[in-house]
Amino acid sequence: MNVTTSEIVSRTGASPQLSGVLPASSGGTFGRLLRFAVANIRRRPERFVLSVLGIALAIAAVTVVRTISASFAITGGDSVTNAIGTHAIWVVPAQGVTYDSAAGALVSNGPPSDITLPKGWTGAEMIAGVWHSPHGQVAVYGVAGTPRGRAVLSAELAKRLGVADGGTLRLGSASVTVAVKGGGPAVTVSPGLARDLVGNTGWWVADEPAVDQGRNDLGRLFGTAVGLPFTQNPAQAPAKNGHGLVYDTTTGSGALSFAQKYASAFSGQVTDSTLGLISVIGLVLGFVIAVSSFLASVQERRREFGIMSSIGLADEVLYFFLVESGVVFVAAWLVGVLGAGIAVWAVLPQLATPVAWAQASATVAAFLPAMAIVGAIVPVHRLLQQRPVALLAD
Amino acid sequence: MLRYGLAYGLLSSRRRAREMLLPAITIATGAFLVVIVFAMSAGIKKQAAGLGHAGEIGHAVVLIAVTVLLVGVVEAAVATTRTIAHRTRELGVLGATGVRSRPVIVALLVEPVVTAFFGALGGGVLAAAAGAVLAAAGAATSGVSTTGTVTGVVIGLAVSVIAAVITSVVPIWRAVNRPPVKSLSSS
Repeated sequence: MNVTTSEIVSRTGASPQLSGVLPASSGGTFGRLLRFAVANIRRRPERFVLSVLGIALAIAAVTVVRTISASFAITGGDSVTNAIGTHAIWVVPAQGVTYDSAAGALVSNGPPSDITLPKGWTGAEMIAGVWHSPHGQVAVYGVAGTPRGRAVLSAELAKRLGVADGGTLRLGSASVTVAVKGGGPAVTVSPGLARDLVGNTGWWVADEPAVDQGRNDLGRLFGTAVGLPFTQNPAQAPAKNGHGLVYDTTTGSGALSFAQKYASAFSGQVTDSTLGLISVIGLVLGFVIAVSSFLASVQERRREFGIMSSIGLADEVLYFFLVESGVVFVAAWLVGVLGAGIAVWAVLPQLATPVAWAQASATVAAFLPAMAIVGAIVPVHRLLQQRPVALLAD
Repeated sequence: MLRYGLAYGLLSSRRRAREMLLPAITIATGAFLVVIVFAMSAGIKKQAAGLGHAGEIGHAVVLIAVTVLLVGVVEAAVATTRTIAHRTRELGVLGATGVRSRPVIVALLVEPVVTAFFGALGGGVLAAAAGAVLAAAGAATSGVSTTGTVTGVVIGLAVSVIAAVITSVVPIWRAVNRPPVKSLSSS
């Protein structure tokens, strides 16, 4: 044993009646516990490294998945805002809508629903499809009010298509003047030109009459008037054999905006997929490694803890393990999230952003206190069930 | 001498079969996932395509499955550190009686290698059986690939055994090269 009982008592400062007669050491109680944990880690460095490695791999797996999920959430929220703006009602066709990753925008899978706007409501059909340009797939939105000879696009998209503000862009058989404006991922043109380019695929957007402003049942009101089902839940998909679905994009009675709910549904596709399931199993295995490592440590230090229990320091054993467990998990988290960042950057650069990685790292950090506490309590609980004499007899 | 080391390691592994159970289960879990991912790659690709970025998501699934397998293998290395701690005096006796370090390293490596091999094999066989049951029940709509299953089993076995050797060799080497008097005097 590297640390004597008197040193333990002195370092932890756990026994007030003994601390007066034993030499004091610097640092507060936590500092002493930390030094004790470091001393134990140095006693079996290879086990510490392996435990950290195992848990770090598990954390890296979860962080990669959460990074993809967070990235999807950001993309989902932005894409729905770009697609429908601030309109209160969004009517999608029975075939639904898809996020086209190559175009970076939401596009429709079918023709706009065959509806007539109820009296007093304002809105229009919007064409939304994918144009296979010489520079790759580009989303095209046909928005009412856009002049036929004009195409509005972001500076980023203009650069990708090799055009400048005021220049000419060839869209199929038509030539249009480019206006660089906004930051959306799609080319906005007149509905007629969009239909010629991508076909009759799209959706409806609508806004309520002035008398109905502020109501939280606009979806029901509009859906009943046009004879379509309605919902405020973006995770609900339209019935395949139906005529479309009305999304009420107002906040309604909930706290989250429609874009936030859409983002959540979008990211849920990742966490609920095979990817999410596998990473959770990995995290469970990482936790098993932590518990197994602490159990081995408890087994090897039975006599040491027997001495501590016999002089009234039984509870302090738990603190030792909590701090040691905290050190292991924090080290594993640091290694894991850094490893995940490198893996995402090297393998999935298109899927993740630094913001998504930071969000994922913070989410994973939220699991750690619970894992560290339970990981320490399980082995120590077994130890504390035994009498000091039984521990000393081994 | 290496032959004797191997025989000595196999005998001690038989004696410590119960301690090898947990790492074998963690490795089997990882291998199960790797084999299932390869066997049902068509279905996973379809799911990935539904999420967009089919290629990248497909790569991520394989990467995560192999990472989980490595997590399982690390448990075998942690178990090795436990074995070394239990057998410190035995290692001291071997060193004091003039046994060279190489056969002792081989003897101690037998345990993680056997655990990794049988764990990965068990996980692979279970995954193949699960795949066959899913295919027979019609639950795997995109089918279960035989080639994918075999590839998964081979990759699972290779990754498990190689990773078990890499992660276990350092603690074993350190323990074997300790001065015998230090090992014999440890409590």
